[in-house]
Formats: sequence, C-alpha cells, structure tokens
Amino acid sequence: MASVPHEVAIPRTYGVSARTQRTFLRIATGVILLVLWEVLVRWLAPPFVARPVTVARALPHVLANHLPPGTPTFWGAAEATVVASAEGLAIGIVGGVLVGLTMGRLRTADRLLRFYISTFFAMPIIALVPVMTLWFGYSSTVRLYIVALGAFLPICLNVYDGTRSLPASFVEVAQSYRARWWNVWFGIALPASLPYLLAGFKLAVGRVLVGAVVAEYIVNLKGLGSYIVFDSRTFHQPEMMVAVLFLALLGVSVNAAADLATRRFLPWYRRSE
Amino acid sequence: MSAIQVNEPKPRMIVPHSVRGGAISLVGLVIGAGIWEIVGRHTQAASFAPFSQTVSALWLMTRSGELPTALESSLELFGAGLGFAMLFGFFGGLFLARIRLLRIGLEPYILMLYATPMFALIPFILSLFGFEFRAKVIVVTLFGVWPILINTLEGARSVSNDLLEVAKSYRSTEPKLWRHVIIPYTLPYTMTGVRQAIARSLIGMLASEYLLAATGLGNLILTYTNRFDTARVLAAVLVITLLATILMAIGRAIENYFARWKAGV
Repeated sequence: MASVPHEVAIPRTYGVSARTQRTFLRIATGVILLVLWEVLVRWLAPPFVARPVTVARALPHVLANHLPPGTPTFWGAAEATVVASAEGLAIGIVGGVLVGLTMGRLRTADRLLRFYISTFFAMPIIALVPVMTLWFGYSSTVRLYIVALGAFLPICLNVYDGTRSLPASFVEVAQSYRARWWNVWFGIALPASLPYLLAGFKLAVGRVLVGAVVAEYIVNLKGLGSYIVFDSRTFHQPEMMVAVLFLALLGVSVNAAADLATRRFLPWYRRSE
Repeated sequence: MSAIQVNEPKPRMIVPHSVRGGAISLVGLVIGAGIWEIVGRHTQAASFAPFSQTVSALWLMTRSGELPTALESSLELFGAGLGFAMLFGFFGGLFLARIRLLRIGLEPYILMLYATPMFALIPFILSLFGFEFRAKVIVVTLFGVWPILINTLEGARSVSNDLLEVAKSYRSTEPKLWRHVIIPYTLPYTMTGVRQAIARSLIGMLASEYLLAATGLGNLILTYTNRFDTARVLAAVLVITLLATILMAIGRAIENYFARWKAGV
C-alpha cells in the first residue's frame, strides 16, 4: 500500500493547514540538523571547529565589525565580493547576449565560435586563475576576468539555444512585414530567449561566486575568499562560518529572485521537460 | 531573407552542408591557434607562450612522465569523488522520493547546499578530515552530489501513475516494482544530473588540489606558475580543457543513451 512513493497520502491535518504543517516540518528538520552538527562536532572534532553555538556567539560581533585589529572585516570583504560579482555578471550578460544572438542568427559566426564557447564552458574556469596572475599581476583584474568569463559562457550558450529554438514562422511573419535584421534580433529573438537567459543567469551566479572566491584566495584580494581562508588559518572558524552562511544565503536568494522573475514577468514560458 | 531560403533551398553549392560547416569550424580553429601563436611571440616569455612552445612543452612533460602521473592522480580523485557522488545522489534521491516526511523536511536545505559555493566549505572539511586524499574526495563528492540527488528525486517522483497501476494490477512485488518500473524510469533523470555533476566535480577536483594537498594537474599549474614557466602552465591548462571536453562529451553521450527510453509524455 504505502509501497509507492507517488501515492497521494491523505494528510492528517488535525485542523492545521497543510502549509503550516510543512513549514513546521521544515523548521523542525533544520533544528535537528543543527543539533546533529553540534553534537557530532563536539564529540568527534577538535575544539576549534565551528559548531552552531559558537557560530551564533560569533555572529553579533562579526556583523558589527568588532573584530581584532589586523583581521579583515566581514562587511568590507562581503562588499568587495558582491560588487566584483555584480560587475562580472553585468559584463557577462551584455557580452553573452550579444555573442549568443549573433551565433544564433548567423551560421558562420556559429561555426567559427561554437567550438571555443563550448570548450571554455566545459573547462573549469578556475584553472585559468594562476595563469592570469602572470598576465595581470596580483590585482583585482584577475577576479574581474574570471567572474566575467564565468558569467559570459553560460549566458551566451543559453541565449544561443534560445535563439535557435525560435520558431521559424515568427521570423517569416516579421519578414513579410519587412522587418529589418535588428528588428528580428532585438524585437523577436531576444525576447523569445529571455527564459533561457534567466536559466543561464542562474547557472552564471553559481559559477561567478565560486570564481570570485577562488580568485580572491589565490590572488589574495580583499573579499570573502581571503576572509574565509584567513579566518580558518587563524583558527577563527565560527567567524569563517558566518561568511560561508552569507554566501549560501546569497546564492539561494539570487536563485529565488530569478525564479520569481520568470514567473512574474515571463508567465508565457512553460518548461517542457 | 534567410527564411525564404528555408522554404526553397537553392542548390548554391555542390559541397555538402556538413563539409562546408566543418571547413568553417576548422578555419576557426586555425585562426585561434594563429592568434595564440602571434600573441605569444610578441609578449614576454614570462607571461605568455606561443602555441608551438606550449605543444612542445606538452610533449616534453608527457615524455618525462610528469604529465601522465599528474593526470592519473587527478583522474583518480575525480573518479572516486564522482563515484561517491553518483552513489549517494542516486540512492539518496530514491530514498527521499520514498519517504515523504524526510523529503519535505530536507528539501530547502538540499537546495541551499546546491546553491552554496562549495569552495567556501573546504577549510571546514580540512579541519574535520585533514588534507589528504580522503578529504579531497569528500570535496569532489560535495561538489558533484547535489545535481544527481535533485534530478533523481525529481525523476522518481514523476513516475506516471499509469505505469504503477499496471505493474500493481499484475501483482508486481515491491522489489520488482522498483527494479522494473521506478529505477528504469528514474535513470534518464539521474544521468542528466550526472552530466551536470561532471562539470562541477572537475571544478571541485581543481579547487581541492589548489587548497588541500597540492597534487595532480592543479599542482602542475601552481608549481609552474610560481616558476613563470608559462608554456608548461598553458600545457597543463590545455590538458584540463581537453579532459573537460572529453568528459562532457561522454556525459552527454550517456545522457542521450538513457534519454532514449525517457517517456515523451
């Protein structure tokens, strides 16, 4: 009976709405996970390893920037990482849309560039961080390039896919009304590939955050990457965990915002999976 | 203009389309290698090496056995990490699909871990598991497991009720139901996750080689960067690129193979 996971189980609600029940269940699971983390680390790990209790204790003075002198401040680091990521995303979106549209609409551009785009997309971009320190020195330029590349590639490929999946009839109708090429590119192909753009954006955010943090660590730039490594090397793990949680929250909220934007502004788009 | 040609293709060229496309792609490759060569010859040796020097460095490193050893060590790490990711992702996904309470409770936390840049957790893993092979495998697994888990879960939950009802009306037992209906139905979804996991695990492999004990290809890159031996750094990057391309192609082939029986409902 209860053998199959897909059966619709009749929920016993006890007069509470299913939504409340679900929220309660999620919070309870979260508490259990935190307790597990606390107990396991206390029991098995050396005392400097972060536990929920020590993280909670560290939280106020990290957020208030009350740290011993000489250590990087959390908000300064967070600002540096977020600003650099946003810059990279902006460059990546503009470049990715332009190149993606071009590749989607022009066969020759597609054939010339597709190999490079898909190869760079497949490779881990962080392989380039050390070489880039030789090219640009130990400067924030490295991070900018890494972040921009990390954003550009998924967005370009997704816009390309979106442009390619444009129904030919749309273009034919437009052309029979004497639409110029820029009308087709920016009036039809670009809006039609917006859902793909948003999917690419979600991929890009993940890659950008990883790229920024790795670049900050290797190049030793002010940012969350170096903040995390500094704190972990000086046995300030609870302080480090605050930054990890911040990054997790950032990733989740940007993803949620992208989903919301898809539902709110592109309600005509249904993923056919 | 081009739309009209779609309806009435004019026989402009005798050369088949695929050959012409291949030729243009080849021209693209040659242009790329040419630019690399020219830029490399006009910059300082300490910052950029021409294509030809990179290729000869690649040859030297292969002959000295340095590159094959590094590649083997990296692949070992990658394989072990991805293997565990597949194991935990697949069975974890099935498990969660089956137990409703756990699924609803854990879902937000899984999505959160999926969105976290795993690199940030490496110091934590370092303090718990050290910096040797074991810790690095854990890092690679943590990078790769989430897409497999999430896709498997989604697949196992979307088995159509018709299939289940038919199986049950033939009095299929629970293990048989799993073996003949649910797992085959889920595998294509899992394989989509595996393809995504391949790319993420490669990043995890390099990240753990950079931040934990330096071995393999990541170590080659770091070492030769410190020696300003750009030709060898670029050779190592070239190997990683090739590896990534091959692995992605394998991933896509596996995905397509399993997608054959994905229900087109």
